[in-house]
Amino acid sequence: MDVDYPPSAQEFRSRVKAFLGEHLPADWTGMGGLPEDEREAFRVQWRRTLGEHSMLAVSWPEQYGGAGLSLVEQVVLAEEFALAGAPQGSENDSFGIGMLGNTLIHLGTEEQKAHYLPKILSGEQRWCQGYSEPEAGSDLAGIRTSAVLDGDEWVINGQKTWTSAGHLADHIFLLARTDADAPKHRGITFLLVPMEQPGVEVRPIRNLAGYSLFNEVFFTDARTARSEVVGEVNDGWRVAMALLGFERGVTATTDAIRFRAELDRLFALARERGLTSDARVRDRLAWCHSRVEVMRFRGLQALTRSLAGQRPGPESAISKIIWSEYAQAYTELAMEILGPEALVPSGQRTGGLLQMPEAGTENSPLSWVETFLAARAGTIYAGSSQIQRNIIGEVLLGLPKEPRLDAGPFRELAASRSSQARG
Amino acid sequence: MFFAYDADQEEFRASLRRFLSDRAPLEAVRRATATDRGYDVELWRQMSTQLGLPGLHLPEEHGGSGTGLIEPSIVLEETGRALTSSPYAAGLLASLAVLRFGSTQSQADLLPGIASGELVATLATAEVGSPAGVGGLETTATSRGDSVTLTGTKVLVEHGHTADVLVVSATGADAGPTGARLYVVSGDAPGLSRTRSQALDLTRPVAQVMLDATPAVALGEPGDLSPLVDLGCALLSAEMVGGTAACLDMAVAYAKDRYQFNRPIGSFQAVKHRCADMLVALDGARAAAQYAVFAADRGSPELATVAPLAKAEASEAYTSAAGSTVQVLGGIGFTWEHDAHLYFRRAWADAALLGGPAAQRARVADALGL
Repeated sequence: MDVDYPPSAQEFRSRVKAFLGEHLPADWTGMGGLPEDEREAFRVQWRRTLGEHSMLAVSWPEQYGGAGLSLVEQVVLAEEFALAGAPQGSENDSFGIGMLGNTLIHLGTEEQKAHYLPKILSGEQRWCQGYSEPEAGSDLAGIRTSAVLDGDEWVINGQKTWTSAGHLADHIFLLARTDADAPKHRGITFLLVPMEQPGVEVRPIRNLAGYSLFNEVFFTDARTARSEVVGEVNDGWRVAMALLGFERGVTATTDAIRFRAELDRLFALARERGLTSDARVRDRLAWCHSRVEVMRFRGLQALTRSLAGQRPGPESAISKIIWSEYAQAYTELAMEILGPEALVPSGQRTGGLLQMPEAGTENSPLSWVETFLAARAGTIYAGSSQIQRNIIGEVLLGLPKEPRLDAGPFRELAASRSSQARG
Repeated sequence: MFFAYDADQEEFRASLRRFLSDRAPLEAVRRATATDRGYDVELWRQMSTQLGLPGLHLPEEHGGSGTGLIEPSIVLEETGRALTSSPYAAGLLASLAVLRFGSTQSQADLLPGIASGELVATLATAEVGSPAGVGGLETTATSRGDSVTLTGTKVLVEHGHTADVLVVSATGADAGPTGARLYVVSGDAPGLSRTRSQALDLTRPVAQVMLDATPAVALGEPGDLSPLVDLGCALLSAEMVGGTAACLDMAVAYAKDRYQFNRPIGSFQAVKHRCADMLVALDGARAAAQYAVFAADRGSPELATVAPLAKAEASEAYTSAAGSTVQVLGGIGFTWEHDAHLYFRRAWADAALLGGPAAQRARVADALGL
């Protein structure tokens, strides 16, 4: 056993460090250290710098304008960016580059790759993901948004929801029902749709923490060309599952770094309040340290698998539960440490990010309260903790599935659900 | 970067698992622990001579194989999974004390016998008021000229009623600044009385050892004994990971087979999610134990934080998994006949050995300078 990175990865690390040292402002502490009104301008300029130095689309092959990095190099890059508190791209890049780009590279046509990849990379197109609907949350395959062919165009009607960064996007990849007579998983198609058209309306949703980061997206006779299908018509579920594999990405290996920075903030908070000698607080702080260490050790295991050429699989469900439940626990401890200070919290805001504040955010009571509020999201989005436990039980442990009540044509399921709702 | 077990280690694990399931299934464990000695001497002879387990980590000059600590942690994980009753773990910890603190002479005296399995050695450190047995000791060493005697009472001494050699911690005028030093006591020394305890854990014999002016020999020079506790925590974590995995296997197998309401109970989310929680906890504990053993093997200074945190993680994973297993099994899990309670007992015993999770986290907090 050893936990040393291969020499080639260390060499790459030096290059990334040099890049960050050269291009980040001299007094850089993270996005949270910038005045709020300067952040957007920095983001735009920083993304351009990343693009010029092949630090964007690090998971794409070079032939498509990516950096062609191995998984280990992607991890090293993510680690160094996280340590420096530097963003790896814009809010839409995780959808455009990480999810759609990789999906197109593997499942798209040559025309689609040639058309879309350069536009995603240049930032000319900003993408979001249209999956969840009011009637299709955990049961994603229950989507009702329909797409019907009209000559050479699909006509789309329905509603998506929880669309992160939808208000910043001009394109959406979505799942639409294209055959309601097929069983629910078999009549779905993965479509690419421009948003700047009369039939698409985006309405922000204000979240529990007070921020508007996600949206409802309404489609009323919206249109996209017949060719804008990824994979085959009615085979969109398979495309969605492939995309899930890219969504998992390399985060399991970087969770520890990001939560370590938060833990340092928490230790500082407890020290400032003179609570590190309190037996209960000490115990919980040591517990938090232990959980972050467990993330680090699991990250080393994941990295070892990556080096052996394995992509992240269903074990990601364990990582999701570990980090999302930890995020609630450590912020609840912060609330306990703050006591009455948390009730009328003062100081700098966080910017509202759902996982943790921007690097460099002041260690203020308000930043903790906002992080505490935001932490409720982690156990719900991207597969709730209950869905993750189903995956762990059924896929990793081989336990039997529940008897299904949703076989047969989707049209009949939807009709029976509607009559139940009326009844 | 290779934070995993290599092919040889995986093969070693698989062959050991086969050996233990053939040679020491749980009914055999129950029979062996019910004897006065508390283990199967013939099984121990095979583990020693056929598999060479007790000497794996010991230097070749002392008859060992010089593997380092990863292989012994695999042995513990597998014997923890099978609840094998043998003096392996006792000898491992005693030999690590001899390796770390012993003089060249005491190493040459003790290690070849431990490596061959002929000399059963154990660590007698815990006291009623000191679970880790390296501080706050009452057992006292008294020197007169060249001779040393020990007086005091040690508890939870693994195989203490049968061991040939005991490595005992004691305080006294020669104990140095940490107030604790190790001594070697022969099993047949005068003034030594040993009684097997009626223990919560049925599958690991432990004894109370009373020393009354018992002759002893100092094991090397005085020094900080806490690294010994860290080694013990790291290795015990590996054992607990094995036990946790056995519980999960048992619960999952039952949840697949047992039908109620005309469906396997594992199809109910209430049962499925409880099993999933066991795997989440096991996975974290396994990573922590693996890292702690790795740090111990490397002699890394990180051991002072990663060993106690691994012990705490593994303790909580094991006690909760053993409790969940009894719950998933339902009524049958609450019977003497079913093996679930053997794990439930071991889990709580292991969790308390060397200090429970709260004590371990207090050590983590100390090591972090909180």
